[in-house]
Amino acid sequence: MTPEEIEAYVDAAAAALALPIAPEHRPGVLAYFALAAGYADLVNMQTLRPEDESAAGFLPVTPRSSAT
Amino acid sequence: MNAIAGGAKSGRDWHGASASGVARAVREGEARVGEIVGASLARIAGTDSTVNAFTDVLAERAMARARSLDAALGAEGEAATALRALPLLGVPFAVKNLFDIAGIPTRAGSIIGLSNAPARADALLVQRLEAAGAVLVGALNMDEYAYGFTTENTHYGPVRNPHDTTRIAGGSSGGSGAALAAGQVPLTLGSDTNGSIRVPASLCGVFGLKPTYGRLPRTGSYPFVHSLDVLGPLARSVTDLALAYDAMQGHDPHDAACASRPAEPLMPQLSGGVRGLRIAVLDGWFSDNAGPQARAAVSRVARALGTERRLTLQGAVRARAAAFLIGNSEGGALHLPDLRARAADFEPLSRDRFIAGALLPAAWVNQAQRARLRFAREVAQVLEGVDVLIAPATPHPATPIGSETMEINGARLPTRPNTGLLTQPISCIGLPVCAVPVWPEPDESGAALPVGVQVIAAPWREDLVMRVAAVLEAGGVASAPLARL
Repeated sequence: MTPEEIEAYVDAAAAALALPIAPEHRPGVLAYFALAAGYADLVNMQTLRPEDESAAGFLPVTPRSSAT
Repeated sequence: MNAIAGGAKSGRDWHGASASGVARAVREGEARVGEIVGASLARIAGTDSTVNAFTDVLAERAMARARSLDAALGAEGEAATALRALPLLGVPFAVKNLFDIAGIPTRAGSIIGLSNAPARADALLVQRLEAAGAVLVGALNMDEYAYGFTTENTHYGPVRNPHDTTRIAGGSSGGSGAALAAGQVPLTLGSDTNGSIRVPASLCGVFGLKPTYGRLPRTGSYPFVHSLDVLGPLARSVTDLALAYDAMQGHDPHDAACASRPAEPLMPQLSGGVRGLRIAVLDGWFSDNAGPQARAAVSRVARALGTERRLTLQGAVRARAAAFLIGNSEGGALHLPDLRARAADFEPLSRDRFIAGALLPAAWVNQAQRARLRFAREVAQVLEGVDVLIAPATPHPATPIGSETMEINGARLPTRPNTGLLTQPISCIGLPVCAVPVWPEPDESGAALPVGVQVIAAPWREDLVMRVAAVLEAGGVASAPLARL
């Protein structure tokens, strides 16, 4: 992402989340977003297959008094 | 009733004692719990203005509990006999201040946390340690919301490394490492998401155990990243780590990530040795990003274990990137309400990182989670041919407080995020690690500061990492001497 694209994205995403960014925090936020974008490039370079599932799993919650 | 039980002091200086030594002394009537806890509190009072490990010292609670234990031990009967069998009897301990402590708000390194209602109960692991006879004496300083590797906390001040008080103690469990090195307590608890037990253990020269993700329940602790958070003990000996870990094991359904596994006690396995274990040193990322003292520490460990085998984990750099994205996103999302309402109250060193994390595209985070599982499966295949992996815990020994950059093999990098670059790929996939402290040999140049080595194994194989740690400790390669304060 170019610096201009990062600024445009951060502003739009912050608005979508109703997250105000104070002027004094903005340079740091942009810098850290750029850092994350670099890490995302590394991760996105890997071609994943449909069977490469997410590590974020969900286990259904059994009620304590579950009838058998 | 002997003189000690009657109230006489033992005359011993307890601040360097191990947890196992304290428990034995109390069990055998050589010292009262009140004396030992009092000694710990006195040591804290005498050193913490320098070290700044503690945010809360619970003297009243600790001494009340000590009196209660001493009274029970002085009685005759089965109850006293059962008490004497407790493995951590009378052991003073302290916990990172993201663990709930009944009656006080859980800070988690923040000032925002002070607005919360007091915790209604102790964290589950605190309860389990006290059930094993230990005595909580206080809560420890940390990086705010666990998002740091240096414990340079703007609200509460930096934790100072007891071995050199101009340097960091590491983070985010900086107080947990420093309190041990300073001889304030023999046992602490910390948390580790990307390295926050292993980094302070490395820089403060103590042992730290980061168990497998899902091993110890996180019930009653303030989270950072649900996908990665692990709780664990730090101590000045392998035996003390094992005693604490064994006392804390056991499933709890209130932690959705806690695996439903039976307890697997470590104490009976500590003397298993390393004969027959296939051990390799991690090369590639773990060597390229290690400074000279870190590499020397790994070499010493490898020689002691009799291995020359080296192995590269393809994908380590991508795993680190994935861990960053997952942590950044989950952490930012967790704090979104406060980031909206009171961003100025956050730690300046991590606030902007949290805000950025809250904004990350879902596609990045989803890809990171998928890459994470892929890497975990690849490493599992590697671990079919090797039992234990060795790598440095930090690129260097402790850096000066306030340091903005550090050099790693010719590259100048920001200090704070990169102090954990050797721990992140391992915790990304939830592997158990014991960080063992290694000191420079007399002929090595530089200051006499420790650097930790990660002893890593397959999931649920804490027994292997601790057997290796025990051998290294017995051989004098890993040690945790007290700092001269």
